[in-house]
Amino acid sequence: MEKLQPKYSPAMAGLALVLVLALLAAGCTQPSGDGHARTLKITGSTTVLPVAQAAADAFMKDHANANIQVNGGGSSVGVQAIGEGTADIGMSSRDLKPEEHTKYPDLVVTTIANDGIAIIVHPGNTVPALTIAQIREIYRGNTTNWKEVGGPDMPIVVVGRDSASGTREFFFESVMKKEDFTPTQLEKNSNGAVKQTIALTPGAIGYVGLGYIDADIRTVPVIVNGAPVEPTIANIVAKTYPVSRPLIMITRGAPEGLAQTYLDYLLSPAGQAIVAEEGFVPITA
Amino acid sequence: MKRPHGGSGGDPAPDPTLPCPPHSPSPGGHGMPARRRREQLIRAAWFTCAIFAVVTIFFILAFLVVDAYPVFHAEGVWSFLSGPIWNPTGAIPTYGIWPLIVGTLLVTLGAMAIAIPLGIGSAIFIAELAPARVKAVIKPAIELLAGIPSVVFGFFGLIVLTTWIRVNFAVPTGETWLAGSILLAVMALPTIISVSEDAIASAPREYKEGSLALGATRWQTISRVVTPAALSGITAAIILGIGRAVGETMAVLMVTGNAAIIPDPIWNVLTPVRTLTGTLGIEMGEVAIGSLHYHALFGVAAVLLVITLIVNLAATLILARIKERTMPGTRCRVPAAPRQRLPGWLADRVHPYKRTMGAAAGTILLFLIFGPAGILAAIALICALHVLPGRLSPKVTQVIAFSLVVLSVLAVLFALGVILFDIISNGLPFITWEFLTQPPSNLGRTGGIFPAIVGTLYLVTGAIAMALPIGIGAAVYLTEYTREGRVTRIIRTGTDLLNGTPSIVFGLFGFAFLVIFLGFGISLIAGQVTLALMVLPTIIRTTEEALRTVPVAIREGSLALGASRWQTIRNVVLPPSVPGIVTGTILSICRAAGETAPILFTAVVFSSRFLPHSVFEPVMALPYHLFILATNVPGADGQKYATALVLLGLVVIFYGIAIGIRNHYTRARHW
Repeated sequence: MEKLQPKYSPAMAGLALVLVLALLAAGCTQPSGDGHARTLKITGSTTVLPVAQAAADAFMKDHANANIQVNGGGSSVGVQAIGEGTADIGMSSRDLKPEEHTKYPDLVVTTIANDGIAIIVHPGNTVPALTIAQIREIYRGNTTNWKEVGGPDMPIVVVGRDSASGTREFFFESVMKKEDFTPTQLEKNSNGAVKQTIALTPGAIGYVGLGYIDADIRTVPVIVNGAPVEPTIANIVAKTYPVSRPLIMITRGAPEGLAQTYLDYLLSPAGQAIVAEEGFVPITA
Repeated sequence: MKRPHGGSGGDPAPDPTLPCPPHSPSPGGHGMPARRRREQLIRAAWFTCAIFAVVTIFFILAFLVVDAYPVFHAEGVWSFLSGPIWNPTGAIPTYGIWPLIVGTLLVTLGAMAIAIPLGIGSAIFIAELAPARVKAVIKPAIELLAGIPSVVFGFFGLIVLTTWIRVNFAVPTGETWLAGSILLAVMALPTIISVSEDAIASAPREYKEGSLALGATRWQTISRVVTPAALSGITAAIILGIGRAVGETMAVLMVTGNAAIIPDPIWNVLTPVRTLTGTLGIEMGEVAIGSLHYHALFGVAAVLLVITLIVNLAATLILARIKERTMPGTRCRVPAAPRQRLPGWLADRVHPYKRTMGAAAGTILLFLIFGPAGILAAIALICALHVLPGRLSPKVTQVIAFSLVVLSVLAVLFALGVILFDIISNGLPFITWEFLTQPPSNLGRTGGIFPAIVGTLYLVTGAIAMALPIGIGAAVYLTEYTREGRVTRIIRTGTDLLNGTPSIVFGLFGFAFLVIFLGFGISLIAGQVTLALMVLPTIIRTTEEALRTVPVAIREGSLALGASRWQTIRNVVLPPSVPGIVTGTILSICRAAGETAPILFTAVVFSSRFLPHSVFEPVMALPYHLFILATNVPGADGQKYATALVLLGLVVIFYGIAIGIRNHYTRARHW
C-alpha cells in the first residue's frame, strides 16, 4: 500500500503552472509611478462614455499618477453606482427619475455636453425630409411604406432602442409625445447596433446620437416650420434642430478632489474641444 | 437516474463479484478507526461539493424571486405571465411577458431542429467513420467553435446572416427568428457534438464487433447498436445544447430584432421575435434600480430560470425513463450480459427515429446550401427515405446515410470556416506588438488591449481555480461514493438545472448578490465567482463521464488489494480520468473566456490604466472590450476584429496545452 503514492500528473502540473503564472503576473502589476496613484471610477451611460474616456485619456497625460477607470453599463447603472458609492462619478444620458431622487437625495448633476438625436435611414433611401409628426406616425406603426412620406415604394422597417434606454426615453417624450411605439419595431441595445442595422437594411429608419453619424447611413433632415433642418452641431447650438438633450455627470454632493479636477477639465475649453471631437455639442458653444 | 431497486424486470441474478452496492464496508476490513474517520471526512467533503450546485440553484432562484416579488405583487403573477404586451416605458407601462416566453421557446426549438441532426451526424462521423488523421483535425476544430465568443457570433450574424436572409427571402429585415435559430444552432453544436461523440466512442467495442460479425453493415451497426447504446450520453448532449441555446443572450439580442410580438402565423420563421434573455440583455443596463421595471426584469429572469428548470426536468425524466427501460441495473456497470438484449427491441423504435433525423439533417443542409429551392428536394428526400427503406438494400442505405453524415460535418466545418475567415482576414492586419502590449487609448480606436488580455486571464484562472476542485469533488462523490438514489437524483438534477441556467441570470444574480448585497462592488472577485458558478456544471458532468469510463474491474482490483476507497480514487480512478476532466476544463475555459453577460454587471470596466492589484478592483476583459467596441465605439472596426482574434488566439493556446495533455494520456491509457 505504501506504493500507492499520489502521482502528480502533467495536467495538474500544467494547471498549477497557469495558476502560478497568473499570481506572478498579479504580483508584478503594482501601479507604476510614485506610489500615491489616485483612482477615479466613472460608470454609467454608454452614450456619455466616449466623451468621458477621451477626456480621461487627455487628463491622465497631464496627471501621471491619476488612474481613471471608465465603465459603461447604462444610465441607471451610473445613477445606482454613484448612489451606492461604488463609483466616484456617474454618467447619464437622461435626467434623474423621481424614485432615484428619493433614494439618493444628495446627488449633484453637472451637465457636460448636449446631444442631438439624428433620424437616420439607409444611404439608398431617397426620402427628402420628415416632419416630427411624420416620424411619430412611422414609429406608431400608422405609416408603413416610404411612399406615404415622399420616399420610394418600400415597406418601412422601424428600428428603435430598448425600453430602458435613455435615448429612447428622450425620443419617447420629445418626438412620440408619449404615444406608444409600434410593437413590431426592432429593438437594439446601443447606438452602434441601431446604426449597423440601418446601414444593412434598405427600408429601415432609426435614431442615434450625433456621434454615430457616418457615411454608412444617411441623416434625414427634420422639417421645422416648413424648412428642413439638418442635425448638425451648429443647428443644435442655435436651437433650430428640435431633438436634443443634455448629457450629465453625477456626483455625491458637490464634486471634490480628483473628481472635481476632472470635471473642471471637462468643462474647460480643452475638455469641451474633446466633446466636439466626439461628435457631441459643447455646452459653452 | 435509477432507483436502487428499480428496473428489476428481467434482471439476471446480480453477479456476486460486482462491487454493488458501491459503499460496501471498507474493503481494508481491519476497521482502523483513524483511517475510517479520514475516509468519512473525505466523503463528507465531496458530499459538500456535490450539494453545492443544488444549494446554489435554489439560492439563485430565491434571490431572483425576492427581487421579482414587487412586480408579481403589483401585476399579479398570472397577468405578468400571460400579458400579451411588454411595454414597460409606454404611456401606460405594461408588463406582459407572454410574447417573450413564446419567443424564447420558438428560437430554441428552431435551433434544436437544426443542431440536433447536424450535431449527432457530426458526432457519428467523428466517433465511427473518420480516419484517425481527419479526426485529429476535426475534433479540435469543433472545440474551437465553442471558443468563439458569443459577441463575435452576434456581429457575424448581424452583418452576414441577416443580410443573407433579407436578400434570399425577400423580407424587409433579416433580423428574425430564423437568424436567431441558425446562430444558436451553430453555438450549441460544439457542446452537442463533443458530448455525443464521447458517448458514442465509449460504447463497448464488443457490441460493435458482435454486430459486424453477425453480418450487419457499418451503418446498421451504428444506427441500431452503437447509437442506441450511447443514447443516454446523446440525451445529455442535447440537454446541454438546449441549456446553451436557451441561455444565450448576446448573439440572440443582436440578430432576432427584439420586437416583442408573437409570430403570425406561429410558424412564420421570418418574423422578428424577442427572447427573455434578450430582454434582460438590452434593458438591464439602463433600468432605474428599484423601479417596477427593474423588478419586472428580475421577474423575467425568474421565469427564464423556471423555464430552463422545466425543460431540464423534463429531459431528466425522459432520460431516466430510457435508462430504466433499457439498462436495468447498470449503475454497477454490469458489462455485457443484460445490455446485449438491448438492440433487438430498441432498434425497432430507434431506427425510424434515426431515419427522420437523417432526413431532417439533409433538409437543413439543402436549405442552407440552395436556399428555399432546396426544401422541395428535401421533401422528396424525406418521402424517399420513408417509403424506400424496405426496398433499399442495406448497402444503398449505408451510402445514403454516410453521405448525410459527412454532409453534416461539412456544414459544421463550413460554418466554422466562414466565421474564422471573417475574423482572421479582418483582424490580422491590426495585430501589432503595440496592440498586444499597450493599454487602449482614444476609446480603443488606438493603443492596445493588454489590460483586457490580462483581465480575461485573471477572470478565467480564478473561475477555474474555484470551480475545478468543487466540480471534481462533486463528480467523485456522485460516481464513487453513492449508489443511484434520491440524493444523487437531487444533486444531479441540481447540476443540470445550474447548467441550464442562462448566463445572463448568473450575471443578474452576481450583480444583486455579490456586487450589491455582499458589497464587493464591480470587482474581479465578483466576476470570478459568477463565472465559476457558470462553469461548475460543465466540469461536474464531464468529470463524471470521465470517471464512469474507468472499468469497475480496476476499482475492484485496487479495493481487493486493501486500498481504501479514497486511495483507490486518487491513485486508480482519477489518473486515467484526467483526459476527460481536461476536456471539461477546456470547454469551461472557453465558455468563461468568451462570455460577456455574466461579467457585464459584475466585474468589468471599459478601460483602466493599470492592472488590478487586488481582487476587489474591476478589470478589463476581452469579450466586454469587444462588445463595447462593436456596439458603442464608431470607427473601431479593425480593433474589434483584432480583439476577437486575440481572444480566439488565447483560447487556441489553452487548447494547445490541453490537447497535448489529452493526447499524452490517451496514448498512455490501456486496460
